[in-house]
Amino acid sequence: MQLSAVNAPVDSPGGKSVGRDSLLTLQNCSLTLNDTHILRNIDLDIRKGEFVSIIGPSGCGKSTTLRLMLELLKPDADDRSGAGEVIFPEVRPRRGMAFQKPVLMPWLTIRGNVELSLSLGPQKTPQSLRRGKAEAALELVGLLSYANYYPKQLSGGMQQRVALARTLAAEPELLLMDEPFGALDEMTRNTLNLELLRLWENRANGLKSIVMVTHSLHEAVSLSDRVVVLSSRPAGIRTIIDVPLPKPRSAGFVCVEETLPYQQTIAKLRRELQRDD
Amino acid sequence: MTDVSKRPRPGILRRYDALLYPLVFISLLLVAWEVSVDIFKIPAYMLPAPSDVLDAMDSDLINHTWVTLQETLWGFLIANIAGFFVAVMFVHFRPVELSLFPVAIALKTTPLVALAPLLVVWLGTGMASKVAASALICFFPVLINSVKGLRSIDAESDELFRTYQASRQEIFWKLRLPASLPYVMSALKISSSLAVVGAIVGEFVGANAGLGYVVLVSSYHLDTDVMFSAIFAAAFIGLAFFWILEAIDRHFIFWQQEGAD
Repeated sequence: MQLSAVNAPVDSPGGKSVGRDSLLTLQNCSLTLNDTHILRNIDLDIRKGEFVSIIGPSGCGKSTTLRLMLELLKPDADDRSGAGEVIFPEVRPRRGMAFQKPVLMPWLTIRGNVELSLSLGPQKTPQSLRRGKAEAALELVGLLSYANYYPKQLSGGMQQRVALARTLAAEPELLLMDEPFGALDEMTRNTLNLELLRLWENRANGLKSIVMVTHSLHEAVSLSDRVVVLSSRPAGIRTIIDVPLPKPRSAGFVCVEETLPYQQTIAKLRRELQRDD
Repeated sequence: MTDVSKRPRPGILRRYDALLYPLVFISLLLVAWEVSVDIFKIPAYMLPAPSDVLDAMDSDLINHTWVTLQETLWGFLIANIAGFFVAVMFVHFRPVELSLFPVAIALKTTPLVALAPLLVVWLGTGMASKVAASALICFFPVLINSVKGLRSIDAESDELFRTYQASRQEIFWKLRLPASLPYVMSALKISSSLAVVGAIVGEFVGANAGLGYVVLVSSYHLDTDVMFSAIFAAAFIGLAFFWILEAIDRHFIFWQQEGAD
């Protein structure tokens, strides 16, 4: 897997198609909402098989970038430097989103909540297969025995795992995570990060790439292949830093902080975040 | 060792506290009432003793109660179905809300007592005018609470559903509707007691049966014991109605969140 820092838009003769190993490309994406200029000229290529983290000052537009990837928001069409575009390969990858809050439906059981992602929209799973898929996803996050519980009977960390199971049940190719463990205490957060890493490394169900928005430099460096640093609003890409840590990561996850490449990358990111431009 | 008296009592005793305490209190009140009527020689047309009120509860009262009960239930049912339906329209079609909301407010601010005679003129002295009065008074709280409930979904849930490209129908049935239930349930509880008020106001204006009619007629004849029996019957309808809804609420809306009322 090639991991060089390429953040220029991919220009191919077809115009709208992307490079063969791209899953999604943001090309010159600017975004203005209610006269607020949030994003400016974002060019970002998400490749198959990579874990990308997005960091930046709070409120800068990290979550908005994810919403562009989900097509919940559309980039400005009349930017001075041309229209922004979200470009996919011929077939749009299935995308799943994990929010900062678990966003579980309190009236559904844990199983029901996981099945929710399988029972909505044009691509919904046939009824007869939902239960099996939901239970497999719960098994994956270690909560199968809680299938008949209701969300409020579970702790915050468990709820967040249910939310992850719900997202994974739909078998996304591109997993988008918006500070998924940001509301949890550090211990739980570390456990869940390690679990996520293991899921990511043992992937068998079509998961190709992960994009995670985070506030934590540790999370960004220990988990991802590339870290995208956004500037303050209107956010542009300040830099993209490759993380030179060996893969798979889960084996060395607990003591990754003691390694030199980890510390150097953290230091590099700190400098980038504090730089004025 | 901990003080034994400060330990929580076994569950079986506590479970019936909510029933036991009011029952004991009400019994004491009734005894005090009975005794003081006797001691102070209060004339029966002013305040009949509870035993006299009990005597006045005959099969006639049951028939009248049945009439009021039916009016109440029909009014409640119609108001709730209509109120919820209009709420769904409000939430999905902005022009409907913009045009109908002021009308709904006007309806709410018009005193029912002022409308009741009109209802009798239009619908006659039978049950229909009382059902209408009852439905009118229930309609507004149901509408407001249902709209509030249907709008109570948070931005994240909405985004979650949109991420899966859920259709409008799916968003309605799997998100809006269940999310609105705690609010709708409080609306039902509020309107349950209002429904009785509506029916009785209707009966005051023009009727030949029902508890409101009994109260009115007995006041002409100073049959205060009969009046009391009708008042108690009306109160009982409201209470029983509320209790049933409360039980349904607790059983089915188990996820009930704070702030839904």
